[in-house]
Amino acid sequence: MNKNFIPALALIRNIIKENEQISSFSLELTDKTIPFTFLPGQFLMLSVPHCGEAAISISSSPNTLPLITLSIRKAGELTEAIHKMKKGDMVGLRGPFGKPFPMETFANSDLLIVAGGIGLAPLKSVIDSCLYNSTLEEDAVRNITLLYGSRSPSDIAFKQAIKSWQEQGVDCRLTVDEKDDTWKGHVGLVTNLLTDCTMTSSTKAIVCGPPIMIRFVIEQLSAMGCDDNSIFTTLERHMKCGIGICGHCHLDGKLICMDGPVFNLSQLKKMDVTEFAR
Amino acid sequence: MIDLKELILSKDNLYPFLRKLTKDARLVAPVKNEYGDTLFSEIDDIDKTKIDLENQPQTSLKPFFLPQQETLAEYNIVKGDYNFTPPEPAQATIFFGVRSCDLTALLYMDLIFSKPTKDATYYDRRNNSLIITLGCNQPFDNCFCEATGSGPYMEYGYSLQFIDLGDRYFVSAGRRKGADLLEKWGYFFREVQEEDQKRRYQLLLEARGQFNRNIQVDHACQKLQKETVSEEIWEKLSSRCYDCGGCAYVCPTCTCFSVDDKPQDSTSGIRIRTWDACTSSGFTRMAGGHNPVNRNKHALKRRFLHKLKHDYESHGKASCTGCGRCVNICFGGVDITTFIDLFTKQETS
Repeated sequence: MNKNFIPALALIRNIIKENEQISSFSLELTDKTIPFTFLPGQFLMLSVPHCGEAAISISSSPNTLPLITLSIRKAGELTEAIHKMKKGDMVGLRGPFGKPFPMETFANSDLLIVAGGIGLAPLKSVIDSCLYNSTLEEDAVRNITLLYGSRSPSDIAFKQAIKSWQEQGVDCRLTVDEKDDTWKGHVGLVTNLLTDCTMTSSTKAIVCGPPIMIRFVIEQLSAMGCDDNSIFTTLERHMKCGIGICGHCHLDGKLICMDGPVFNLSQLKKMDVTEFAR
Repeated sequence: MIDLKELILSKDNLYPFLRKLTKDARLVAPVKNEYGDTLFSEIDDIDKTKIDLENQPQTSLKPFFLPQQETLAEYNIVKGDYNFTPPEPAQATIFFGVRSCDLTALLYMDLIFSKPTKDATYYDRRNNSLIITLGCNQPFDNCFCEATGSGPYMEYGYSLQFIDLGDRYFVSAGRRKGADLLEKWGYFFREVQEEDQKRRYQLLLEARGQFNRNIQVDHACQKLQKETVSEEIWEKLSSRCYDCGGCAYVCPTCTCFSVDDKPQDSTSGIRIRTWDACTSSGFTRMAGGHNPVNRNKHALKRRFLHKLKHDYESHGKASCTGCGRCVNICFGGVDITTFIDLFTKQETS
């Protein structure tokens, strides 16, 4: 499904409005004979009629296949266009691309997920997948803590998922930058929530959000004693191919689409940091 | 490289030989146009066209393998259906008069477009191509291919290589396709004599001695493996970069591109691939406006580090072929040779 940048076709099966800006689109390939699978952290090139392609990370877990969910924030032409589409409309998909999170190394660990805004999308795939696998004892993570920051209470996305995670024992702590009258929870940056967390030798931390947030969270995790090989993030870049040839996502000798988007801190430290969280 | 076959072609037989080649394939060679620009052009009628082997073509072969704009697929949206159709297959093409720098660049592009899988349109054109090079006996003003290990004569990769010995060409076949042509059209050629061999060697030595520019490419590459470039150098270069993209467009090894959809009407359109350049501000800007690159400081950083540091790391060789085109085109004077000069003079920290 990659020759000549021609995508496989997919139908929009379901749409969940996560907030004013973000919706989750559940897609299913029309040709069932195409072998398709993916791992949490990988992304797809999404084609929207007349709008071209954009790189979007997968927010669902592989166990919900054949449904593939993409959670998309309105940010430009293509993303605005898919928000106008309806159930039953057709889009195109190429992929999956990129290196996934090393899920196999998360067994028996304490998973600490730190996300800001739409940054929760690729990490939702990790959480869902861990929860699904927790029924298989040997692959289980010990516990999952989610620290999730949003601009305001109305910006909180993935409410439905968060509710279901809480029911399954995930410690979900939410914060907003600016509160309103309805908000009784924590106010402040997501880094403030971190101070209440304890790191163990089995902590694996995964961070995704705005570049500036990633930078400060990583710094704090390091200061709290989290090992470089146990801190992961996934980087977002402008991409045009997904297969390492268009050059757009080049970062100091690495290609985010092929060498990433998932990196641990020791890998990041070898790269030019001036571009990494600007 | 041991050539598969070596023969001599009298200059009187050049056009008759090329005329035969055009029977089976399209011919592309340097031609001077009415504005005085020498460009690689498709030759419709060899008897009415003068091939310009005197001047350096202003364009490389890049546009023939990665066109400035190409259609990757056509799409249709009819009654909710969304379909893509690939383009027509490429035409068999013979390229004549290709300089060593440009073939070196093409061999580099072969690498780029073969990972992780072979790019369909690029390799369709590449598999349908045959390259005839012309060794450079006289480097052009801004050339420095000797410093990049890509000239003045080619050592491998060509189907045929021509060396101008005055009234005749010394022709070597480096690939099977080239040897087959010599076999097929053998009656245009004569055997190589010792005198031809000597003349060829003498001309190569003379050519090597005629470079105007001494660019420390290898030194720069090695130094980049150990040292970082000062922010002062990046800022100095960026302050004179006007975002025109000229360097990347004329560069035979700049292969970055964009893919976009272009609607033709409400129900159909084309998916196009166009040249793009890391020197332009939109290259890294994401939807929503965030740009991880500070253009005021680092407009040229990717371009130079990619060619001299990262490619040297991965392929053991810089991906600059010393063709000098960026030197000719950059009106800010911040081409790759300026960078190499500044960086090699940077005091070791």
